[in-house]
Amino acid sequence: MGTTTTALGSPAATKPVHRLGFGGVLRSEWVKLRSVRSSGLTVLGAALMMLVTGLIFASTVGSDSDGANGVTDPTGITLSGVMFAQLVIGVLGVLVVSGEYSTGMIRSTLTGVPSRLPVLAGKVAVVVGAVFPTMLASAFAVFLSGQLVMGNAGLPTARLGDPGVLAALFGSAATMTGVTVIGVALGAVMRNTAGAISTLVVLVFLAPGLGGLLLPASWRDDALKYLPSRAAEAFTTVVPAPGLLTASTGVAVFAVWVVVPLILAAVLLHRRDA
Amino acid sequence: MIEVENLTKRYGPKTAVDGLTFTVEPGAVTGFLGPNGAGKSTTMRMLVGLDTPSWGTAKVNGRPYREHRAPLQEIGVLLEARAVHPGRSARDHLLALGATHGIGARRVDEVLDTVGLTEVARKRVGNFSLGMGQRLGIAVALLGDPHTVVLDEPVNGLDPDGIKWIRHLLKDLAAEGRTVFVSSHLMSEMALTAEHLVVVGRGRLIADIPVADLIASAKRGVHVRSPRTTELVAALRGDGVRITSVGGGVVDVVGLSSEDIGTRALEAGIPLYELTPQQASLEEAYTELTRDAVEYQGTTASLGEVA
Repeated sequence: MGTTTTALGSPAATKPVHRLGFGGVLRSEWVKLRSVRSSGLTVLGAALMMLVTGLIFASTVGSDSDGANGVTDPTGITLSGVMFAQLVIGVLGVLVVSGEYSTGMIRSTLTGVPSRLPVLAGKVAVVVGAVFPTMLASAFAVFLSGQLVMGNAGLPTARLGDPGVLAALFGSAATMTGVTVIGVALGAVMRNTAGAISTLVVLVFLAPGLGGLLLPASWRDDALKYLPSRAAEAFTTVVPAPGLLTASTGVAVFAVWVVVPLILAAVLLHRRDA
Repeated sequence: MIEVENLTKRYGPKTAVDGLTFTVEPGAVTGFLGPNGAGKSTTMRMLVGLDTPSWGTAKVNGRPYREHRAPLQEIGVLLEARAVHPGRSARDHLLALGATHGIGARRVDEVLDTVGLTEVARKRVGNFSLGMGQRLGIAVALLGDPHTVVLDEPVNGLDPDGIKWIRHLLKDLAAEGRTVFVSSHLMSEMALTAEHLVVVGRGRLIADIPVADLIASAKRGVHVRSPRTTELVAALRGDGVRITSVGGGVVDVVGLSSEDIGTRALEAGIPLYELTPQQASLEEAYTELTRDAVEYQGTTASLGEVA
């Protein structure tokens, strides 16, 4: 008896049993993200963009004729880099998917995970996991150092405990993370780096200005406040500009801008030939 | 084991694969042969679920590829086009793909060693030569230690050593009882590795036969020299016999064996100075096969005698 079990047991032991699972897909996407140099560089670039822009604004504000009276929102001044940083970090989102199409890597990826949708979910999870903490840390860093700069110049400053400040910092990190996820979705929908980046730039950066120029004044402001960047402003500013959505509506509208392209990406990824 | 049934792929008005039905058995190297554009790559892409068939089914080891719980253990595939991010190292590429199935660094290093890329494992793939890229693709195919291996034009870009290596690898994999399905547009390459052939042209099946039968089926002429060719031609003429005069008292006879020709010549009292069977090469057999398919607009009517 004993010898029989040994004989039967050994072949199974020599050949390990592997299973495709979401945990594995997550690990795979993490390996992919960290093993391409551009990923780290974009995250670093976005963080630097926030720090440098914020500090430049903090050290130049109040130097014009208005002086200290010009500083109405010290938090907003230090976070003024978010607008540019979100573009840089959004490119990371695009590249995570479009880079696979341009190199052909997607064929290897989808051969390993033929059910496909876990790949998209894994990419979103990994990007969120990498971007949110780093952008949150950058937001805190630029806020604290910026307030220090402005304080030394004798300008009004904000503190972490002030109403709306923490919401602004977390909201800014969430916005940048959201834009990155929009980038992932656009990359999957368009499967083309240049096209997806252009669309992202128009959507989050140029649309408010273009809309302001092109739309009729009668309903312009009512429409523009629903754009992703304006919706984000509603929940990331301590002293909101007039005419914005309420903070909670802003969160909801921004979430729609993230989720809808993602659903479209999922449907197309599932349907199209790779 | 690969089972393809009535597999069809249409891109708009163009039919890339047209009602293919064949089975690839384990334990042997099966060649997938056809001119460029015959639908080989599309068929292979449908096998691993990258393209969805317009209709028909492709099953790997009993079920559609997408339904397997560990796809990389069922089938390992090397596709023709490069499928690697150039900024990533070979090792990271394999680690990323293996991670989905819980395949770890040990197996990754093992396949890197098998394909001879250990020394460049941590180099960026973008700097790889065509042959090194091909070896990495084969490492990917072997990563899950799969029951079935599908390779699209694996010798492309390999140097003679690499080609020899691939031939041995394919035979070893088949000897281990795996299903090995390899495409090529070169009969000469298949002649050296494959035992069985699936031949396609214009997306349709032309032949599904053992290599040995293909050689046997090739129409072989017999070179005959005689001082009385006119009488000889009259004695040999008949259904299915084609005689062409080469000149100088020499005719080529297709459709009769040399034994038949010799016997008939003796019965008619015609002396023969030379009677030489011409051995058709596999390449010629293949050319004839594909030419027929084109002449008959891809019908399979002529397959009866071949298969």
